[in-house]
This record gives sequence, C-alpha cells and structure tokens, in this order.
Amino acid sequence: MKKQTAFLVRRLLAARMPVILVALIISVTLMTDGQFVQFANIVNVLRQVSFEATIAFGMTAIIITGGIDLSVGSLVALTGVAAALVMRATGDFSPGLAIALGGLTAVVLGGGVGAMSGVVVAWCAIPPFIVTLAAMLIARGAALLLCNGQPVDGLPEQVLFLGRGFVFEDVIGKSLPFPVLIMLIVYALFAFTLNRTVFGRDVVAVGSNEEAARLSGISVRRAKLLVYVLTGAVCGLVGLLHDGKLNVGDPKVAEMWELNVIAAVVVGGTSLFGGRGTMTGTLIGALIIGVLNNALNLMHVEHFWQKVVLGAVILTAALADAGLRTLERKTE
Amino acid sequence: MRNVLRLSLVAAFALLLQSCSVGTDESTAGETRTIGVSLLTMQHQFYQDLRAGLESKAAELGYELVVTSAEFDPARQADQVDNFIVQSVDAIVLSPCDSRSVGTAILAANESNIPVITADIASLSTIGKVQTHIASDNVAGGRLAAELIIEAIGPRGKIVILSHPEVTSVSDRVKGFRERLSREPDITILAELSAEGMRDKAAKVMEDLLQAHPDLNGVFAINDDSALGALAAIEAAGRLDNVSIVGYDGTMEAREKIRSGAIYGDVIQHPKQIGALTIDAVHKVLTGVNVPEVMPVEVGTITADSLNAIIGAP
Repeated sequence: MKKQTAFLVRRLLAARMPVILVALIISVTLMTDGQFVQFANIVNVLRQVSFEATIAFGMTAIIITGGIDLSVGSLVALTGVAAALVMRATGDFSPGLAIALGGLTAVVLGGGVGAMSGVVVAWCAIPPFIVTLAAMLIARGAALLLCNGQPVDGLPEQVLFLGRGFVFEDVIGKSLPFPVLIMLIVYALFAFTLNRTVFGRDVVAVGSNEEAARLSGISVRRAKLLVYVLTGAVCGLVGLLHDGKLNVGDPKVAEMWELNVIAAVVVGGTSLFGGRGTMTGTLIGALIIGVLNNALNLMHVEHFWQKVVLGAVILTAALADAGLRTLERKTE
Repeated sequence: MRNVLRLSLVAAFALLLQSCSVGTDESTAGETRTIGVSLLTMQHQFYQDLRAGLESKAAELGYELVVTSAEFDPARQADQVDNFIVQSVDAIVLSPCDSRSVGTAILAANESNIPVITADIASLSTIGKVQTHIASDNVAGGRLAAELIIEAIGPRGKIVILSHPEVTSVSDRVKGFRERLSREPDITILAELSAEGMRDKAAKVMEDLLQAHPDLNGVFAINDDSALGALAAIEAAGRLDNVSIVGYDGTMEAREKIRSGAIYGDVIQHPKQIGALTIDAVHKVLTGVNVPEVMPVEVGTITADSLNAIIGAP
C-alpha cells in the first residue's frame, strides 16, 4: 500500500510541468470569465508562442550540452531580411519558387552563422555566452546593413500564408495555423533526435560530463557544433515565417527573443548547467509563458505591471520546479 | 511513454475547460463599447500624454479603453491586434512600431470588420485600410526646429542631428529641418546619428559627437528624451555655453530646462490633443460620420522667453 502511494506521488511529480500549466489555464480561465478558453483565443495563443517555441527546441539542445545561444533573435531578423530580399527579387517570376528560394536562403544562412558560432565554441574553448553575444551583434548589424535599416517590402502575397495562414482550412476551419504546424513538426523531429538517435544521446552525455563523454569515445566537438548549426537553421525557418507574419522582412524584429526563448527552456525544466532537459518540457514552458502573456492582456493588466507579473511567475515556476524535484529525489 | 501521458492529460483538461466555458461566452459582450489601443511605447513622456488624452476623452464619451504597448516590436504589436480581434473590440487605435510592417495587423482587423485608426505614426503599408490618421504636422515642426536653431546659433555654425530614422514622424521632422537649413549656406550639418529616441543612447552618442567635433555649435534632438540625454552629455563636457540644444515635444522636464536656459527651445506637439482627437475620430467612425484621411494637429514652439511671458518671470 505504502509502496503504491509512493509510486503515485512519483508519477504526479513527474508530471509537474503539465500540472502547473493546467493550473495556470484553470486560473486564467476563471479570471477572464471564460474568455481565455474561447477557441479563437486558444488558436491565437498557440500561434503567438509558435515562433519562439520552435527556436526553443534548438535552444534546449544547446543548453543540454551546457551551452547557450544569445544570437537567436538577431538570426531571425537577419535570415528574415535575407529571405525577403531573395523573395522580392524572384517574386515576379513565380511566387512558389520565390518562397522556396527565400526559405532555402534563410535556413542555409541561419545554419551557416550557427556553424560559425559552433566552430568557435567547440574548437577555441571560448565561453558560448561571449561567442554568441558577438554573433548576436554581428547578425543584427548585418540585418540592418542588408536593407539599410528599412524593412524590405514588396513580397509576393502568398508569403502571408507562412505567417498567418491555416492548414487544412477546408476540412477543419481556422484551427491549425501554419506556424503551429511547423512548431509541432520541429518539436517531433527534435524530440526524436534527442531521445532516439546516437547524436541525441551524445548531446546529453556531453552536457552531463564532458570529460567522461570524451573518454568514452564521443566526438564532443561534433555534438557541440551540430547543436548550434541546427538552432541556426531553425532560426532561419522562423525568419521566413516571420516575413509571412508581417509581410515584410524587418531588421528590427525579434529583439530580446533570446531571453524569452531561454526562459521557456528553463521554465520547461531544462538545467542551465547542462545534461538534463526534454523537448516536451520546453513546449510546455513556452506554453506557460504564452498563456501568461495572453491572459495578462485579456485581463487588461497595466503594461508596466505585466513585466513584473511575468518575472514573478517565471521565478515562481522555477522555484516550484526546483522544490518538486527535490521532493522527487526523496521519494526515489 | 510518459510524455504521451503528460500531453494527453493536458489535452483532456483543455477539452474539459472548453466544454465548461461555453455558457460564459456571451456574457463578455457588454453594453459599453471597447477600443483596443496598441502604442509604440509607454516609456516616452509623449506617449504617456497621448494616452492621457485618449483616456480622458474616452471617459467623456463612455468608451472602455484597453491600452497596450508594443515597445518597438512590430511582431508584438501584431500579436496585440490579434488579441483585440479575439476580444471583439469595437475599434483599434494604433501607433505603428513600423510603418510598413503594421500592414498585416491592420488587414487582420479589416477582415474582422474592426475599424483601425492610427495616431502619431502613419501606416505606409500597401495592405490594410486605415479609417483616418491623426498626427502632428511634423514636416512643419522640423522647419520650426530649424528656425529655433538659427535663432540660437546665428547664421553660421556646425550642428548635428540626433535622429531615429526608422520612425516616419521623425523622418518628417528631419526632412523639414534639412529643408529649411538648405537655405542657410553657412550652417553645416556634420552628422545625423540615431539615438532611437532614448535618453541613455542619446547621451552616449552625444559624448562621441562632442569628442569628434570640438567646434560644435548646436544639436537638433528629434524628441525630448534625446534632447535631455544630449544635455547630460554636453553639461558633463562643460560645453553648454558653446552648444545650443533644440528639442521636440515640450515635456515638463524639458520645459524646466528651457526655462533655466539649458535647452534653447522646443517644438511642441500637443499629444493630449492628438489623443482626444483620436477618440473623437473613433466615435465618428463608429457612429457613421465621415472622417478625412488625415487629421493634422498644429505644432508650435517654446523658448525661455515665451514660457516666461506666459507664466511670468521666475
């Protein structure tokens, strides 16, 4: 009997992140007279979190290796501007081809910048914080330079679908925004890679104990390089989607995204010290932050207070997670 | 497996909640009409005044205001508009973070038949329809700023501009300013640098400019936060006697500095009036009265002389 209770407690503790999310959803639903759970609003929240959540999966992999990437926001801006320039130049020819070329440009450019950060981190033993801080500044400056500080407009109108369109609209109506579909696909790919591939296990091993990983024959450098390349490529994908959201390539967007993304990862239970983290946790972490942002707006909370509340909740979530984890360890 | 369990738990709760909430959906449709507002920022005095104008007029006409601020992020502004659409507000007031990027958000509101009115900053996007635009005549304001600089430093000298070129209203000011100064062959514009309208940034940029140009005579700062930042740097360098500042907006703090002679003068906008006129325009649109495409609001100037003339000598 006692054993069964302990088992139950352990099960509940393991599911703490969803529980926190559900508790949050219940409370904001009550506080907004049900406005929060209107179908259109739920779709809205999902679409709002989809951009940063998509990047957060890449960031999770980086943080699991014990690294960090501050350049993600700037990379979204840079790849978005680059894609917009390509799409504008080729748009008259064929919109479909233009979007394909724009997307390719964005992903390759994002992956390329990620690769540069990754090489320096893996081979030169410089802290990722500094490397990616430099990449953040360079990418932001390059984005502004590429378009002279002015947003790139004149994109083919089909681009709008990428940011604001719905998938299977004929069958299920306006319920699955395209960026949300992309978020789910990226989630599935990253979750599979982390849990079911040799590379994924290498990533965790490098983060848990780099020396041990090296001694057991894992290519530490390769694992470190690849997580930055993947994250850069994902940023490129989001840069393309972002062009669709605003119908322009804007060099000023995604300011401070790196912090929101890192917050989602950490609220989702990934350790900043590396070695521990899940993609599902990150998805839930992103949702917690998205739900909060949305609920504060629905409740008409004063703008300045929103920052205070958001900060307090992130801290509370982190504390609750830490407390529950201690409890979890004790029940084992 | 455990992850699947967790997710299905979340899904189950979400469904449960949705089924519970069906009854409450209609109760949110109130009698008072709601206006959603998304401002460029709430950190500038100008926007705080504009907001005060919006709020007092809204209270007078019986509208409920939901005021948000996008803090310079066009994507966040688009999200805020999406939220307004879900909340089924009756009208949306925007001060676009970016004149071009704002188009998709306006289009989304158009598609939900919610009228959009812009205040202070116009939409230049090719998509989306705005009912009317309420703003200061900024080109005229820029010309007035040039007049003030000429008054302050005389017919010859070297000056710099602290700009924020991404914002249309600011580029209009600089345009008017340069236009007027092009008729002054002996006044040279050494540089136009962006301080993004922020005080700390302006102080840093000004420090560098002071270092680079020991013979500088004047600064045109495109808003008062920039002017006050520049003032801090000029005071610290001990060059206030040689460098005259002209600002824009006429905030309380800037007025103090103008009265004490630290800032030469300001072009003043009437943000409260812009706010009040904006709500007036919303009211007209919602009650079916025609409004013009643009509703300009007059600008003026203040200097120590004019301030003391109104209030009486200090």
